[in-house]
Amino acid sequence: MTTEEDFIYRGGARAAFAGTARGNPLTEVLWPYRIRLSAVLLLKTISALGGLAPLIAVVELGRALLSPEPVEESHVWTVVAVGAGGLLVRVLFESLSSGLGHLFDGELQLSLRRLLGERLGRVPLGWYARRDSGELGQVVQKDVAALHPLTARTPGEITSAVVVPLMSLVYLFAVNVWLTLIALIPVLLGLALNLKLMSDTRRSDRLALDEAMGRIARSAVEFVQGISVMKTFGASGRAHRAFTKAADDFADYFTGWVLGVAGLGALASLVLSPLFVLVLLLTGGTALITSGTAPASDLLPFLLLALALTAPVAALCHGFDDVRAARTAAGRIRALLEAPPLPEPARPLPPRGSQVELRDVHFSYEPGHEVLRGISLKLPPGTVTALVGPSGSGKSTLAQLVPRFCDPTHGSVLLGGVDLRDIATRDLYRRVSFVFQDVRLLRASVAENIALAVPHAGRDDIVRAARRARIHDRILQLPRGYDSVIGEDVTFSEGEAQRVSIARALLIEAPVVVLDEATAFADPRREHEVRRALDTLRENRTQLVIAHRLETIAEADTVVVLDDGAVSEIGTPAELLAADGQFAAIWQSQLGMPDAASHDRDTIARGGE
Amino acid sequence: MTLIRLLLRVLGGEHAARLRRTLALMTAAAVAEGLSYALLVPVLTTVFGGEPADAWPWLGAFVAAAAVTAVLRYRSDVSGFRAASVLSRGLHHRLGDHLARLPLGWYTPRRIGEVSVLAGRTVLQAMAVPAHRLQPLIGACVTPLTVAAVLFFHDWRMGLAAFAAVPVVAAALAWTGRATAAQDAERARRDEEAAGRVLEYLRAQPALRVGGRTADGLRQMEDALEGQRLGLRRSSLSALPGVLGLSFSVQAVFTALLVLGAASALGGRTGPAEVLALLVLAARCVDPLLSLSDLTGRLRSTRGELQRLEDVLRENPLPEADEPVEPRGNDLALNAVTFRRDGRTVLDQLSLTVPDATRLAVVGPPGSGKTTLLQLMARFHDVDAGAVRVGGVDVRDIETEKLMSRISAVFQDAYLFDGTIEENVRLGRPDADDADVRAAAAAAQLEETVARLPDGWSARVGEGGAVLSGGERQRVSIARALLKDAPIVLLEEATSALDAENERAVQNALDRLLRGRTVVVVAHRLRTAQQADSIAFLDGGHVVEQGTHEELLHRKGRYAQFRQLSLASVPSE
Repeated sequence: MTTEEDFIYRGGARAAFAGTARGNPLTEVLWPYRIRLSAVLLLKTISALGGLAPLIAVVELGRALLSPEPVEESHVWTVVAVGAGGLLVRVLFESLSSGLGHLFDGELQLSLRRLLGERLGRVPLGWYARRDSGELGQVVQKDVAALHPLTARTPGEITSAVVVPLMSLVYLFAVNVWLTLIALIPVLLGLALNLKLMSDTRRSDRLALDEAMGRIARSAVEFVQGISVMKTFGASGRAHRAFTKAADDFADYFTGWVLGVAGLGALASLVLSPLFVLVLLLTGGTALITSGTAPASDLLPFLLLALALTAPVAALCHGFDDVRAARTAAGRIRALLEAPPLPEPARPLPPRGSQVELRDVHFSYEPGHEVLRGISLKLPPGTVTALVGPSGSGKSTLAQLVPRFCDPTHGSVLLGGVDLRDIATRDLYRRVSFVFQDVRLLRASVAENIALAVPHAGRDDIVRAARRARIHDRILQLPRGYDSVIGEDVTFSEGEAQRVSIARALLIEAPVVVLDEATAFADPRREHEVRRALDTLRENRTQLVIAHRLETIAEADTVVVLDDGAVSEIGTPAELLAADGQFAAIWQSQLGMPDAASHDRDTIARGGE
Repeated sequence: MTLIRLLLRVLGGEHAARLRRTLALMTAAAVAEGLSYALLVPVLTTVFGGEPADAWPWLGAFVAAAAVTAVLRYRSDVSGFRAASVLSRGLHHRLGDHLARLPLGWYTPRRIGEVSVLAGRTVLQAMAVPAHRLQPLIGACVTPLTVAAVLFFHDWRMGLAAFAAVPVVAAALAWTGRATAAQDAERARRDEEAAGRVLEYLRAQPALRVGGRTADGLRQMEDALEGQRLGLRRSSLSALPGVLGLSFSVQAVFTALLVLGAASALGGRTGPAEVLALLVLAARCVDPLLSLSDLTGRLRSTRGELQRLEDVLRENPLPEADEPVEPRGNDLALNAVTFRRDGRTVLDQLSLTVPDATRLAVVGPPGSGKTTLLQLMARFHDVDAGAVRVGGVDVRDIETEKLMSRISAVFQDAYLFDGTIEENVRLGRPDADDADVRAAAAAAQLEETVARLPDGWSARVGEGGAVLSGGERQRVSIARALLKDAPIVLLEEATSALDAENERAVQNALDRLLRGRTVVVVAHRLRTAQQADSIAFLDGGHVVEQGTHEELLHRKGRYAQFRQLSLASVPSE
């Protein structure tokens, strides 16, 4: 395992070392498994050779029976026995190679998925903000599975397309040169025709066909997504027509394309068909035999083996579709495996105390567009700092830098006087906990969910945290109490889920808490409970809170108003109100509209701005 | 064959003839191929029998038969392609027509992905059946059968041995099919579990990191991945005996033919040249037979996909009234409505009335059935009991177009298609002139937005309106409703996504929209509830309280409590 991991992690380094452009992703992803893949291939080859034995037996039988000398019975039976033995070899090795291939396929998928999981567990948390976890999940599941044909089927294809024809060619060449040349005619003709078929014009046709198919998919999505709007506005005909038109275009295009090449395609497959090969061989062979250039027995091996010679050409144009798909999938897998992990300090330093400080912090997701522009802040231990500002001002990005979801692009974030980049991750998260709005509960017991961050916590500690987060009573009502499985025994409401996540944070007992305040007019009663739980979390801690509630803001020690990535106002709530600036305006507008404060929820839930 | 029947079923009867003709052509081509091989016997007998010069006439016959086969094959190819094209058109049209008639309640986010797969991959796979898959399959069955008959004709022992393979091969294929079907279901379940766990792992990253649980990951995910491997292994291994059995029996029969042939030749029953010719013929059948397991495997997966397509086509569309009735007026009423979804009763014997040109606000905790209530009024679903009436007429008796023409719906997830803002607004009334469209957009305070976009009115809004903010999307959907100018407005107020400025803009737009119409609004803002003529407080699928703001406050019931709690979040000045 270790060597494989090492290899994959150094994949990028190896490519750089080689000094060449990026290699084939498939080779890179499968390289660690080369030995086992070769073993499967070898077994397949032996099995294929075993499969040739009965054919060769027929040939030898022919030689014996057709020779003018009297037939030696024992020889005939030896030949037949060899043929039957070949059959045994074939079945034995076929079973071995298929069994191993499949077994190994499972291993390969599992170890790739583990590697991917491992890597995804080490990339910066901020990395997720701009990615769709559904798509990432597809890479781990679907793309890894797309490698399956490669391990399970390709060895077979390679043997039938390469090994068997090559062996046959050598054998036939030894038997009769002229007949071999005749047997190669269809191969060359087929190759030429297929190259013509795969020429550029045809490839662009193929792309156009894909494009037409894409339009169908897009119009189907638009049709389905918009159907309620379309229907209520009596416009469903419009989307429907767009879909039908895309479908008709595709069908027309397909017909035109396929019939345009049907003649050439039919010719190509005719040339490669056994019938055509036989026609050539028999005509040529009969002529050679009649003229006495070749003995009749020479023809026999060709009738049996020469048909395999066309396999590579057929594979070239029809086969290997799976390989192409696998290659694209491997590209995505490689990209994920090479996502840079959050760097760990080589020599970690312990933070001294729990003061958080931001020094001239700049941050941008993409070059040229700064989300934070030079922020300097100090959060003294035991104080509450409220972050306020319009959506898009950089509040949630700023909040995420403290638990090191990302590293700042310039400047530094310090905890207890030490740059976060010099603190071991484990140390950092013992000191900084966070409660964001996008709470994800696992399909696991309530207790496991609370103890997610402290896997070895005792039941007493878990219960204490749940009590303080005001979710204990609710848990006791569940059929299996703390052992109830979320998603099976119970579905928690948003507010309850938030309280579970507060219990998580309480259990960690971290001196610094970063918090994104929840708001929802939809269910004020439950929200009340959430807020009381948050109050518990606040006790004696250094807190940075993205504040939506006037109450929170009013009770904060310091209010920081962010505007367009910079601090526009800072001070106590009273000072800022008196200053009658941006903060005062926000305060007024919120008073006028009690629940407009929920505005940022979606933005923050998405983990970025 | 079940596949062909399924294909004909999802395609509808009218295309059956074409598909049958294709099948007939393919079978004819395969028989012709087998008969061409039959002519190999006299050719080879003469060549190997020491009279190569006598072979020419037979050779001529063989070449002619091969030519006939080629022509038949070409025609069957073309016929297969045409059938594929017809299939694509037919399936898409059927799917489209059917989707347009399904109740809107059928459409959930999950369906969107499903339908695009059906319209894309599934149809492509169905097309591949006549275009590519059927011909090799028919060839692999028919040609060896023809050859076996020829063998029988020349040497009955060898013929019998060949025919003995038929039941064995059929059994091996059937066995593989059954074994894999059972394991495939199990494997699909494990795959799904693993996919779910991986997603969970990804989404719970922040919480997992805090615990330093990165290296060991998550036990549940680890178990699921192990399970997935087990599932894969079992399903592969379950197919293996069948595949190997097929391979073994085909090769065994060939070996048997070899033995029988040798015995016949040595015993002088059949001439050596003829025996060799027959063995060459038999060798021709090995590869097609071996490919059978792969071919049937592919067709099995196609069948699975087509089955899902058929399931969708079998969903019941909303029935249209036979004798539609014209609604009288624009009042709304729910009479003892019960509605169930996924086995859960969402609305239970609920009754409500909204008189013409009045405003009803619906308030209640999440999951109380508020959105469903709106959806029933627009007939997204049909009720399980009771009736929804518009203008005194049951919505099931109103022609869908007529019903929709009376209703403007503004839901939270305002959908925009990828066109310009103008086109999106125009959806409200497609025959509106530009001035009307601009006026509606202006009334919904969209002018600022338009000014912000680089191409102004002609800027595209992206798929789903991606370039617009939540508040802007809402205003587009309000503008649509303004343009449509329908007498009934169903409104779902946004719970979130607005800053103060946007909030004001949306409120202004809404004030214009709601004036003078029959309105049902799912209210998330206190102010909206306050301004309604009547407020219904929903909980557990019932109306627990109804009255004006003042009446309900006075009653000190659920609504009053609710309001108190939401006000508590605002400190007194």
